[in-house]
Amino acid sequence: MRVFASFRSVISALFHRSLVEKEIEEELRAHIQDRANDLERSGVPRAEAERRARLEFGGYQKFKEEIREAQGTHFLETLIQDLRFGLRMLRKSPGFTAVAVLTLALGIGANTAIFTMTNGLMLHTLPVRDPGQLVEILHHYPGEPEPGFNGFSWDAYQTIRDGNHVFSDLIVGSTMNFGTVRGDKLQPQTVFVGAVGGTFFHALGVRAAAGRLIGPEDVHMGDHAPVAVVSWSFWKSRFDLDPAVIGKKIVVGDDAPLTIIGVTQRGFYGLSEQAKQDIWWPTSLGPSQGWGFPLLGRLKPDVSIEQVRVELGVLFQTVVNAPDADPFVRQMKLRIEPAGNGVSTPVSQMLSTPLTVLMATVGLLLLLACANLAGLLLARGASRQREMAVRVCLGAGRGRLLRQTLTESLLLSLVGSAVGIFLAYFVARALIRVFASGRFIMGAPVHFEALINPDAHVLLFTAAIALLTAFLCGAAPAMSASNTAPASALQQVARIGESRARRLFGKSLVASQVALSLVLVSSAGLFVGYLSHLRNLNLGFERNNLLLVTLDFAQSGYNAAQFSRLWQELAMRLDAIPGVSSATFSSVSPIEGPHAGAFAFAEGHPEKRTQASMNYVAPDYFETYGTPFLAGRDFSARDQAGSPVAIINEAAARDCFGNENPVGRHIILSHITFRKDEKTYEVVGVVRDAKYNDLQQAAPPTIYPDLLQQDFIGSQLAIRTRIDPGGVASAIRQTEPAVLKDVPIVRIMTMNEQIDSSIVPQRLIAMLSAGFGALGALLAAIGLYGLLAHTVAGRTHEIGVRMALGAAGTDVIRIVLRDALWMVCAGLAIGAPLAFWGKRVAASLIPDLPVANPLPIVVAAAIMIAVGLIAAHLPARRAMRVDPMVALRYE
Amino acid sequence: MAERAQILPGTLDLLILKAVSLGPLYGYGILLRIEQISHGALLIEQGALYPALFRLVRQGLLKAHWDTSENNRRTKFYELTTAGRKRLRQEEEGWNRLVAAIASALKAQPEEI
Repeated sequence: MRVFASFRSVISALFHRSLVEKEIEEELRAHIQDRANDLERSGVPRAEAERRARLEFGGYQKFKEEIREAQGTHFLETLIQDLRFGLRMLRKSPGFTAVAVLTLALGIGANTAIFTMTNGLMLHTLPVRDPGQLVEILHHYPGEPEPGFNGFSWDAYQTIRDGNHVFSDLIVGSTMNFGTVRGDKLQPQTVFVGAVGGTFFHALGVRAAAGRLIGPEDVHMGDHAPVAVVSWSFWKSRFDLDPAVIGKKIVVGDDAPLTIIGVTQRGFYGLSEQAKQDIWWPTSLGPSQGWGFPLLGRLKPDVSIEQVRVELGVLFQTVVNAPDADPFVRQMKLRIEPAGNGVSTPVSQMLSTPLTVLMATVGLLLLLACANLAGLLLARGASRQREMAVRVCLGAGRGRLLRQTLTESLLLSLVGSAVGIFLAYFVARALIRVFASGRFIMGAPVHFEALINPDAHVLLFTAAIALLTAFLCGAAPAMSASNTAPASALQQVARIGESRARRLFGKSLVASQVALSLVLVSSAGLFVGYLSHLRNLNLGFERNNLLLVTLDFAQSGYNAAQFSRLWQELAMRLDAIPGVSSATFSSVSPIEGPHAGAFAFAEGHPEKRTQASMNYVAPDYFETYGTPFLAGRDFSARDQAGSPVAIINEAAARDCFGNENPVGRHIILSHITFRKDEKTYEVVGVVRDAKYNDLQQAAPPTIYPDLLQQDFIGSQLAIRTRIDPGGVASAIRQTEPAVLKDVPIVRIMTMNEQIDSSIVPQRLIAMLSAGFGALGALLAAIGLYGLLAHTVAGRTHEIGVRMALGAAGTDVIRIVLRDALWMVCAGLAIGAPLAFWGKRVAASLIPDLPVANPLPIVVAAAIMIAVGLIAAHLPARRAMRVDPMVALRYE
Repeated sequence: MAERAQILPGTLDLLILKAVSLGPLYGYGILLRIEQISHGALLIEQGALYPALFRLVRQGLLKAHWDTSENNRRTKFYELTTAGRKRLRQEEEGWNRLVAAIASALKAQPEEI
C-alpha cells in the first residue's frame, strides 16, 4: 500500500490543480458571497440567504466544468483527470485489471513479436542509392521451393546484359557464401563473403571509406585480380580503423591470398541484413563460372517490374532454348523480385512463409482478445451503471462519459502493450533460437539482431495496435455507458437492469470469440496434424538410433586411395564400440539438403533418361540406414579394384529399366555439375526408395555409386546404434582421431535432429499455432464464463422466483447450460466457414497441407463445446445454489 | 417578483459586452448591471455568467485582471477590449435589425398581404 500511496503523491504533485483552478474557485465563491450579502441586507436571515444564493447560482460543478471547457486547456486537464480516475478504477478491481492486462499483453505481445521479425526480415531498406529501383533475378526448377536461386550462366548474363531495355545497370551481385577468414595476426573468423562484378559498388552508389573499391579493371576473363574489399565494421572490429589495412593480405577458406585494397562506406553490409557481408572480391568472367553469376538490375525510371518480367522472360527463352543448352536447363523458370529490402537468402526463404502464417494467426488472436475484453468491459459497465447515472446527474455530458470510458480502455491497452513489448522480446528470441537450428543456416554467421530488436517501426506498429485495441474493446462499452438514462438507472439500483440490445451484444461477443477460437484451434490442429504426418512418414530408412558425424577432410591431405585403406580400419574400430551395430560412410546423408544430381539412362536407351539424385556410398550403407535390398547385393571390398559399380533405387530402376531386372545391366550417368562427363556403372543391386532432399518430396530416382571407387572422399559418417545414439558420441570422438589424422569432426547429430532441422518452419508454425489455439480457447472460456457469471448474478431474482415456484436445481442448470450452448453453437456456425476459408489460405502458402481432411475442424468444434460446458459449469452450479428466500428478500 | 423573460440563447454574450462597455466590472457586478439596465426584466441563470465570461476572454473580446474592490477584497475585473467594442457594435446592429424585422413581421395585418 505504501507503494501506492507514494505513487499517488507523485501523481498529484505532478498534476496538482493549478493556480487558475484556485482563481475560478475564488471568483465563483465571491459571487455567491456577494449575493448572500445582498439578500441578507434585504432582510433574509443569514442561513437562508446563503442557501438561496447557492440555489440561484445553479449547478456549481457543472459551471466549473463549462468554464474549464471554455478555457481551452480543457483537453489535457480532463485527460489527466480521466487518467487519474481510470487508474483509481483499475486499482479498485485488481482481479479484472490483471485479467484484462494479461489478455491484452498476450494479444499485443504476440503481434509485436511476429511483427518485429517480419519488419526485420522484409521491411528494412538496403543502405544503397535508390534501393526501390533494385530487383533481383531468380530462377527455379519445377518442384523446387520458390523463390529459387540467384545464379546465371555466362551466356544468360551476356544475353540479359546486351538485350534488355529495362535496366540502367545490370549488376553482378555478390554470391552469398560464408567462409573462414585468416590473415596475419588475425584470429580466424567465419564471415559472409562474396564475389562481385566490376560495377557492383558503383551501381549501388557505395563509396569507399578508405582506399578504393572493386572496379571493372579487377575483373578479367577466367580470372580476377587478387584483391579484396572489406566492410567498415570488419575494418573497425579487426583492424581498429587502422589506415594501414590497405595492402594487408587475407585468406578466405582455401583460396589464394587476397590483398585488401579498400574499405566500404560505413553502414554498408551487402545485400541482406541477415547475411551481412564483410569481404568482397572480384568475380571472374567467362563460361568457367558455370551458373555462378547472381544478377541484380536497377530499373530505369518509369519502368515497372511487370515490364521487366515480360522482357526478361523473352530474353531468357533464347538462353534456355539455345541448341547446345542442357535439357535440364530448359525446365528453368525465371522470377523477378524487388530487392530494395534485401535479396532472398536461406533465412528469408525459410522465414517468410511461417511469418506470414503466424502474422495472420496472431491477428486473429488479437481480435479475440479484443472481443474478450470488450465483453468484460461491457459486463463491468453494466455493474457501473449506477456510477454513470450519478455522474450524469452531476452534469457530466455524453461526450465526457464516452471519453472517460475510452480512457480507461486506453489505459488498459497501454499497460497491456508495455507488458506485451516485454513479452515480445523474449518470444522473438526464443523463436530465433529455433530458426537458427534450421539446416542451411546452421553454423552460418547469420545476423539475427534485426529480427529480435524492436525499432521505431515496431514501436509505431505496437502503438497503433494498442490504440486500435483500446478503441475496439472500449467503443461498445463506452457507447452503452454514455447512453445511461439516469432516472431509470438510479431506480433500478437493486436489480441491475440490462437492455435487450446490450444483452444480445454481449452474447454475440462471446459467440465471436468462440468463432475465432474455432479458427485458431482448427488451424492449430491442421498444422500439428501436418507436422505429425511429416514425422511419421515412411522415409525408406530407419530414423531412430542413427548418429550422423560430419568430417572435414580439407586440411588432412589424404587422397582417395589412402582414405579407402583407412576406412577399413575405422569401420572395424567403430563396429567394436559397444552399442554400435554398424557404420558406413557416404558423400551426403538423407535430408541434409539438395545435393548433386545427374541424368541417368540404361545403356543403349538414352531416350529413357531420368533426372536422378546422387549419393556416393561405402559398403554397409544400406544396412546402417536400414534400407532393404530388393535385388542384388551390397558393395564389397573386392569392388574397389574392379570396374565401376552402383546400386540404384526402385524409382531409378522403374524409370530406366521398366519392368526388366536391372542387376547386371549398365547405367550411364551424365553429370549436371560443371564436369560434363559421362560415366558407366554396372548395377549390382536395387534398394527400396528412400527420401533424399526433404520429407515433403517423394523419393527421387537415386543412384548410389561405390564411394571407395571414386577419386574423392565423402564427409558423412553414419553409425547405427543399439542404444541411445548420444551414448556412443564420446567413444566416436576418441576413435575417429586415432585413425584419421587432421580430420576434425564438424558436427555430430542424430538423424532425428537432422530431420527436425529440415522442418523448422513447419515445427514453428505447429508449435506456435498450438499455443495460440490453446490461448484462444482459454480466452473464449473466460469470456463465456464472465458473461454467464454476470448473467446469473443479474438473474438471481428470477431464478429465486422460479425455484420458489417449484423449479428443481436441474432445471436451473439447464437454463444456464442452454444459454451457454446457444452461444457456442452460434460461434461454431460463424466460425466453421471462417475456418474452411482459413484452411484454403494456409494451403496456398504451404503446398502439401492436408486440407481435405475435415477432422481438425470437427475436433476443434468438439473442443469448443467442451470448453463451453466447462466454462458454464461454475455459474450453473452457483445458479442452482440460489436460495429462493434470500433471493426474494434481497429484492 | 415581476414577470421576467428567459433570455434567448446567444444573447447573454451581448448583454455581458454591453454591461462591461459601461465600465470595468467584476462578475457579480455584471449581473447587477444587467438587472439594472434591463430594469430587472431578464432572468439570468447566475452561474451561466462565468463560462460565458471565460469564453469571451478567450475570444479576446474581454480582458480580465485581478484588483482590489471597493470593500477591499481581491476581485477579478473584466473590461472590453478593442475587438470587444467592435463586436458589441456589430452585435447591436444585428440585434436591432432582427428585432425590427420580427416586429414588422408580427405587426402584419391580413390586408397587407
